[in-house]
Amino acid sequence: MSWIPFKIGQPKKQIVSKTVERDFEREYDKLQKLEDQTKKLHKDMKKSTEADLAMSKAAVKISADLLSNPLCEQDQAFLESMAALDTAMRRMDAFNQEKVNQIQKTVIDPLKKYSGVFPSLNMAVKRREQALQDYKRLQSKVEKYEEKEKTGPIMVKLHQAREELRPVREDFEAKNKQLLDEMPKFYHSRIDYFHPSFEALIRAQLHVAVQLPAAAQKGTKAAFVVSLRLRCHESCPAAVSGTHRLACPPVQMLMN
Amino acid sequence: MAVPRRPQPSTFTLALLKPASSALPPLRAIQKVIKKDKLQEKEGASVKDQFGEEMFSTEEGSGTFVFPDVSAKTSEHLYSNVSSVGSRLSTQDSFTEESSISEERLAQEAEEAKRKSEDEEAAAKERAAQRQLLAIEELVQSERNYLRLLQLTTFTTRSNLQQLQPPPANLDSMFLYIEEVIDVSSRLLSLLDQKQIQPGDPLFLETLCDSFLSLSSDIEAAYREYLANYSNITLVENSYKEKEALWNDIIKVIKTSVPDVNATSLTFFLVMPVQRIARYPLLLQTIQKHTDPTHPAYELLEKTAHTSVALNVHINEYKRFREVADKYKKTEPLSIKDKINRLNTHSIAKKTARLSQQIKHETGITPKLVDEEFDALEGLFNVLERGILDLLENVETYLHHLQTFLACKTEEFDFDMDGEKAPICYKEIATALRQWILPTFEKRMQTLIHKPLCALRDLLVGPRNLIRKRLHKLLDYEMIEAKSNLSYEEQDVANTYRTINTLLLNELPQFNGLALQMMWSMLGTFNCLHRDLATDMEQLFQSFAQQLPHSSLDHNAFWVWAESEVLEGARRLETLCQSVEETLNAPVVQPLSPSSQCRLKQLTDKHGSGKIYQVAGPVVGTRDLDLNLAKGELVAVISEIDTRGDKKRWLVDAGGRRGYAPSSKLMRYHQPTEGPPPSPHLTLPEGVTGFRRHSYTPETRPLTVRSQPVVQVLAAYDFTGRGKHEVSVRAGEPIRVLEPHDKRGNPEWSLVEVRGGKKGYVPSNYLTVMPMGMAPPSSCSPYF
Repeated sequence: MSWIPFKIGQPKKQIVSKTVERDFEREYDKLQKLEDQTKKLHKDMKKSTEADLAMSKAAVKISADLLSNPLCEQDQAFLESMAALDTAMRRMDAFNQEKVNQIQKTVIDPLKKYSGVFPSLNMAVKRREQALQDYKRLQSKVEKYEEKEKTGPIMVKLHQAREELRPVREDFEAKNKQLLDEMPKFYHSRIDYFHPSFEALIRAQLHVAVQLPAAAQKGTKAAFVVSLRLRCHESCPAAVSGTHRLACPPVQMLMN
Repeated sequence: MAVPRRPQPSTFTLALLKPASSALPPLRAIQKVIKKDKLQEKEGASVKDQFGEEMFSTEEGSGTFVFPDVSAKTSEHLYSNVSSVGSRLSTQDSFTEESSISEERLAQEAEEAKRKSEDEEAAAKERAAQRQLLAIEELVQSERNYLRLLQLTTFTTRSNLQQLQPPPANLDSMFLYIEEVIDVSSRLLSLLDQKQIQPGDPLFLETLCDSFLSLSSDIEAAYREYLANYSNITLVENSYKEKEALWNDIIKVIKTSVPDVNATSLTFFLVMPVQRIARYPLLLQTIQKHTDPTHPAYELLEKTAHTSVALNVHINEYKRFREVADKYKKTEPLSIKDKINRLNTHSIAKKTARLSQQIKHETGITPKLVDEEFDALEGLFNVLERGILDLLENVETYLHHLQTFLACKTEEFDFDMDGEKAPICYKEIATALRQWILPTFEKRMQTLIHKPLCALRDLLVGPRNLIRKRLHKLLDYEMIEAKSNLSYEEQDVANTYRTINTLLLNELPQFNGLALQMMWSMLGTFNCLHRDLATDMEQLFQSFAQQLPHSSLDHNAFWVWAESEVLEGARRLETLCQSVEETLNAPVVQPLSPSSQCRLKQLTDKHGSGKIYQVAGPVVGTRDLDLNLAKGELVAVISEIDTRGDKKRWLVDAGGRRGYAPSSKLMRYHQPTEGPPPSPHLTLPEGVTGFRRHSYTPETRPLTVRSQPVVQVLAAYDFTGRGKHEVSVRAGEPIRVLEPHDKRGNPEWSLVEVRGGKKGYVPSNYLTVMPMGMAPPSSCSPYF
């Protein structure tokens, strides 16, 4: 193979064609957006389940604190009702706990895993970028020598530069191809990946919503029975400084 | 509250008449009276006008109105009966002349007197009935008028005042409880109107009394709150008076709202309930005064009058209690400075006395005044207070978490999964939950539980202060209890203690009961709200869940499916991740230099491929037996420990040389299992295709190439030998490499033979290889 016609006076050619670069950018943008959204959803989900748990724990604490209050020791009926109320609250909490566990398993963990892939993808993109830089640098070196006079030492250097360029270019091309291939595949995988999560999310909450009213009903009854009993005993309208009228919901309305 | 002191005229007349008209049986007389009463009452309305003036003018002297008349006639009558000296004196002349007919005349006179007295009696009764009627009329009329003015004030004036710009502050507190007063007053009137009886009807009085009695507790409740609050009303009005412009506006509003009354202040109207409640006993007593004791409603009337008096007494008592309570239940936010300023000898003395008394109690010097009932109440109150505070705290925590939950916008994500059912459903559900269901839930929670609880907590302060004050006053009281003579001040202390104690004993149980009831109903509401929330959520979720592809699966099956699906997803993800890692993150590879290639083979043969390491950075030996190694050099590890047991210093074989190298600078060398795909640009002849790759080492590394017939080694740069061991070369000069290292095995120098057979060393990095065909034309035939 003769080296004489080799690339002398040839126009500088684009290392990476514009369309390839644009495709790459587009795919990568999509992935970056997906990464943001995944992270955000993961964060929100985590926060909201934490708040959810804390909420039901606070509800349990309401009845637990009152159960340990000496108030309940004064009256057997109080104690029984409060215990019933406490049981109801605990059951509600147990349902909630189950729900949160399921969500954790089927929604939050997958989200976390999914967002765990992005760093390596980003690293790959970074590597590709590095490879591209190396490629460009060596390419320009080769071109510099090609433009020079063909003397012995220059030829030696040109050869050396080409020798260096070759693996770098191969590396870049492999990486580029791989990424262009993998990124859309990965982006597409989100649909199959997240589908069960969303279904599980809905099912978990539905399950609690179905179970909860029965438990809550028991607690409601227990409390209102005492409240009604007290109301019958105490018909005096004025408290010590009875200037406030408090808006209690009509019991009948709530009991139905 | 004037109790009738004078005897009723009618009673008096009857009593006097009895001896005179002994012929008439007393029963008949009474019947007559009743008949006449009825007759008069039927006439009622028409007679009223005639008697009206008389009635009012003589109201005070009505007792004496009949009196002289009746007594004159009775005395005459007595004279004639007894025929005493008096009669003889008065009728001296006639007596002598007409003594024969005196008997007859006497009888006639008696008859006349009797008739006359009956007439008088009837007239008196009629007048009494008229007055009674008038009194009743007055009560009803004034009640109507009063109610009208109150309504006018409350509705018209108030709404007009509210339209003032800027609206007067505390306006609502002025009209506090007035609605209750209006309500009870209009109820009283409507009860009267219901019966549709004219005030003249005797039944009317009964109805009136009945209505009043049935409403008395409501009247008391309504008026006592109003009266207790009245001082506040005057305070507010005075605060208005201080602002002249505002006050002028208010006056204007009053004048336009109630033009028929020349009122110059709001209290003109607002004081009316205060006057009215005190007026009831007076009005009722006036009616009673003018009512015949034989009237069927008399007893009822008397009872009503007493009730109205008692009502006033109760209200006064309540007002006093309230004042005491208000005085002590207030907590003033005082700074320490204020407190110090307030100290004076009196208060210090009081406090020390209390403290000493308390210490005496604690030490058991003096026995404590024990009130078990109160202690039980106080205990319950304390327990309740703690329960309420706990509850409030927990509810607040709950609400806080709820708000955090609401702040998580879990529906705002965009996975670009528009075609998928599940995420769309979830988004809609989450949106509905977060924007509609949960905020409603939160609002209900706030209004039904949190706010009442806060109010309840604020209400706890009053009783708490009173309980504390009671203890203080008890200590004061105990000290003076034993004394027989109490000074005015001490009397006051004792009274205050008693008042507070009674107040607490009366009202603390009510407070406790109500608070307990509220607490329970709030707990019930709390659960109830949860139930409602769950029901709402169920409806919402159910409608969406049916649209999901796996809605037919039952609970357990669904979870099994979901979990396996998630695991599958995770596995796929992992595979993908691995492939990315492997192919994309692989470092750039470069052909291994021929010398390294040679050494690799040598080392692998000797030690096995697992022991081959590459030097990550230049190593300069500092201790005995340390090796100097260049970056990228391949070594084989013989032992991962030195003779002294240092695990960071490894014994390595660097292709003949052996020595120690720091383990931190060594990386395991991964030999690719297969060669790289043949590159189209690979211009090297067959001889070098066997090159293997090794990890990329950046920077220009020396390319020392063994001389091979197909490859021409050239000098890349000019080099001038510095001694007899080195040879000078010119750039581009063909060179034959004899040994790619020096005598010590250092690859930085190569032993070469240049044109003319001269041998010597040149730096290895001054050399370069070139395929045969590419030799520069200027150079002559390659050197072998």
